[in-house]
Amino acid sequence: MATEPIEQSTTATDEMIVAEGVKKWFGSFKALDGITTTIKRGEVVVVLGPSGSGKSTFIRCINRLERHDEGRIVVDGIEMTDDLRNIERIRSEIGMVFQSFNLFPHLRVIDNVTLAPRNVRRWPKAKSEEKAVQLLERVGIPEQAEKYPAQLSGGQQQRVAIARALAMEPDIMLFDEPTSALDPEMIKEVLDAMKELARSGMTMIVITHEIGFAKEVADRVLFFDSGLLVEENTPDAFFSDPQHDRTKLFLSQILA
Amino acid sequence: MKRDWGAREDVALEAVAAKEELAVTEAPSARDLTPAQWVKENLFSTPFNSVLSVVAGLLAGWLLYAVLRWAFGTADWTVVKTNFRLYMIGRFPIEEAWRIWMGLYYVVLLVGLTWGQAGRRLTWDAMHIVRRSVLAILGVLLLLYLVDSPLVWSLMGGLVAAYLAGVGVGRIGRGRTMRRIVWAGWLLAFPFVIVVLQIADGVGPLRWNGFLLNVLAGVVGIVLSFPIGIVLALGRRSSLPAVRTVCVALIEVVRGAPLFAWLLFGVFLLPFLLPPGVQLPQIIRVMIMFTVFSSAYVAEIVRGGLQGVHFGQYEAARAVGLSTTRMMALVILPQALRNTIPAMISHFISLFKDTSLLAVIGFIDMLRAARIASASVKFIGSSRQTLLFAALIFWIVAFSMSRWSQRLERRLGVGER
Repeated sequence: MATEPIEQSTTATDEMIVAEGVKKWFGSFKALDGITTTIKRGEVVVVLGPSGSGKSTFIRCINRLERHDEGRIVVDGIEMTDDLRNIERIRSEIGMVFQSFNLFPHLRVIDNVTLAPRNVRRWPKAKSEEKAVQLLERVGIPEQAEKYPAQLSGGQQQRVAIARALAMEPDIMLFDEPTSALDPEMIKEVLDAMKELARSGMTMIVITHEIGFAKEVADRVLFFDSGLLVEENTPDAFFSDPQHDRTKLFLSQILA
Repeated sequence: MKRDWGAREDVALEAVAAKEELAVTEAPSARDLTPAQWVKENLFSTPFNSVLSVVAGLLAGWLLYAVLRWAFGTADWTVVKTNFRLYMIGRFPIEEAWRIWMGLYYVVLLVGLTWGQAGRRLTWDAMHIVRRSVLAILGVLLLLYLVDSPLVWSLMGGLVAAYLAGVGVGRIGRGRTMRRIVWAGWLLAFPFVIVVLQIADGVGPLRWNGFLLNVLAGVVGIVLSFPIGIVLALGRRSSLPAVRTVCVALIEVVRGAPLFAWLLFGVFLLPFLLPPGVQLPQIIRVMIMFTVFSSAYVAEIVRGGLQGVHFGQYEAARAVGLSTTRMMALVILPQALRNTIPAMISHFISLFKDTSLLAVIGFIDMLRAARIASASVKFIGSSRQTLLFAALIFWIVAFSMSRWSQRLERRLGVGER
């Protein structure tokens, strides 16, 4: 690890994620049809698109929950290959939050958060718990540390999931429809935690249908359709002046 | 530390109750009824119900009377009393019995240590205490009848003392070191017992008889087949075709024949399959067969449990950077195994009872001991008593395991949906 060439990280400081012509098939179905984009350090990118457009597949390729079939993905200077060590290094730099929370139901909240730091980073128990308590405070639920996930509301569970992802001190956070499984009154508490994270300078890719969130914190909006990156722009320009017909149609449908 | 387990479920129930207030008020809970009311509502609510209750009650009463009259009046239990040692250890030489006691003391001390260092408080309500006391008194009464020897009584008293000492030491020395000692103790328990039985001109496997044999064979089968079964289950889901094929073949072949056939295989065929020069005692070969047979079933039970774990758990574990091994050990298996507790314990109970098949292939296990006891001229015609007593001991063990499984389920089910 110490012998890692320094120039690699200096050239890569600004470009956290580089995707070049990323393609992915599920059998004969083409989920990604050549995605090329670059995401800079500290950038908050919101991904929009109809279901089945490949947006979820795209971010799942970034931390190798899916294997891309063609093209290149480079995360913080590390190219994604089949090499397991590479994959594990990249994964430990990326936190991910899922639509269905996916907390570990057999572990208490605090143990959910400390599991990876203790077992992957090899932190001592005291250090990882201290960090976990800090993170739970940051997402606003320090009093739930001793409970089990099933005892929490959906919004609280999702905030635990955010704390769990942050516990590995990632450089990048991926959000795959983090509020879609939540009751309306709980969406705000999760979005607030995400906004706070965005303001702290985290590089984020967020798949969401929350237009308000996109307008408020996104630096850029990507619009996916049929496996293609159809349009990308700043939120202002994207929402006020969409260029493509498909974008216009989509926006008219979700804003109606 | 107070933890309000399942608080949300209470809230949910209240919500349901609030919505269905009418229905709830119309159905008073059983606790509000006097015994007379309960009887009226549940047993004599309609004429048909009343007839059923009376008939069933008479039948149950008559059966109970007949059984009790036979057990405590007609039947002569001297045969069991005389042969109690035969039941327990068969033809194990009496002057070597200290070896068994040593093993017992080791295990009991360890159980005490384990319980002590876990540091759980007993939270028994009155009902629980009454039930426990009744069971304890029945057990002591049974032993009072069966055991005369003051030596055995003092040794049993010593067992209780060893248990309490273990609890005390475990509680005082709680912590990481104690946990390690307990773990090491359990890992060494079986080798210790086997060594103590045989060391320094000890007793060979041929004379491990009676209940001792059932316990040894059952414990070996259970303890070894559990990890092997897990490995087989994981192998069956492996992405490597060679590993998968071997595991599937093993599981399917083993499950394809009855246990009895496998035991015969172990006795008659296994010696020819062993490398030349390797000779295993018959009982060891049979234990291997128990283990192999049980492993296949454990593998399928674990596979069922693994299927119950949502794929999101795999993704979440991978996303936080866990390697495949850690993912399985820390996230997937704990959930999968918890789901399998009822099926797993049920299988182990069945395996334990199946150790009585040893009686048919020439071993003196407890069932065979029962047959031997009633075969002597002195106790001719007493096989009802001898077999029932063997059944009682099997039942006690099986029932204890089943209760233990329920406790385990409750403990591990905490906070989970």
